[in-house]
Amino acid sequence: MNEKTGLKEIFGLLARLAVGGVFVYSGVIKALASPEEFAYAIESYKVIGAAPALWAAYVVPWVELYAGLLLAAGVFTRWSGLFTGAMLVFFELLLAQALLRGLPVTSCGCFGAAGSNSLAHEFLQNLVFLALLWPALFLGRGLSADALVEEE
Amino acid sequence: MISKKNARLGALAAVIVFASTTAVLLARQLNLGPVRPAPAFRAFGPAAAPIQIYEYTDLACPACRYAAGALEEMLKIYGAGIRLDFKHYPLKNIHPWSMDAAAYADCAGEQGKFKDYAALLFESQEKWAQAKDKPAEFEAFARQLNLDWGKMQACSVAVETLKRVKLDMAEGDVKGVSATPTFFVNGKRAVGGGQLLEQAKKFDILLKGSR
Repeated sequence: MNEKTGLKEIFGLLARLAVGGVFVYSGVIKALASPEEFAYAIESYKVIGAAPALWAAYVVPWVELYAGLLLAAGVFTRWSGLFTGAMLVFFELLLAQALLRGLPVTSCGCFGAAGSNSLAHEFLQNLVFLALLWPALFLGRGLSADALVEEE
Repeated sequence: MISKKNARLGALAAVIVFASTTAVLLARQLNLGPVRPAPAFRAFGPAAAPIQIYEYTDLACPACRYAAGALEEMLKIYGAGIRLDFKHYPLKNIHPWSMDAAAYADCAGEQGKFKDYAALLFESQEKWAQAKDKPAEFEAFARQLNLDWGKMQACSVAVETLKRVKLDMAEGDVKGVSATPTFFVNGKRAVGGGQLLEQAKKFDILLKGSR
């Protein structure tokens, strides 16, 4: 591995850890809290009703946690990366429709009760994570569980 | 056919999923999750106090009335050393008016008299807790404390008020609260006034350690 490749690998790994880490944090913080709390946040986007929002609140934190861990560890990197990206795009759509409709969303539900930034801030933050997915997916594959298994 | 590589990665993914699930569920049991602070009108003492108490209480429960007295004493003795966050945990199945009482107490809180209203509810618990019809005490206490009863009525059925109480209950469920009063003193669980008093024996040490 030459120096240029090495830097690319490290950048890719850092990108994967950043995006995966955010998903892990977001998942854990919500899985530790009551699902009702997250459900109220989902409801405030006025896309689904109370009952499906509660179901979503039971499931989404765990999905975020698993997807984040798999991406960070580099297990099925392409698939976990694409799945994480699809989730980010979905979150962007939710945020965008709330912004366009001017909904009074007081807690975005992104990181549970740990605090909430404005919708616009969260939207831009997600764009950064979406951008980081490119190096996470296409660089740094050498420093992943996928590569380790391939070498064996 | 699944390749050897994919089988290995699948096994690794399963281990990651299993380990993380176990860790999160364990963290829930150990009360390591975040706690929403109580609204300002039912949070007492400095936010950075060395002794942090979260109390899950039902205003219609006799054991909670006893514990409320003990807590009041502690707040007097330890003063700024204690932060108390009062959380509602109405046991609706055995105390039919407990949810209403929690909502009215919060509405009194919004008018600046949560503590006084809750104290009156505790004192006269036997009269209203098991009443067949809606207890007259809710209004009588509001008037006694010069609260705006019209506002309180509207507030007690408002979505925001009920949501706040229900979130307290949901949080209690996640933390494994099943009896009232349940306290978390610096994260350590105490069920009932007796266990709380046991933990209070260590308060002097905690306060010394924080200096």
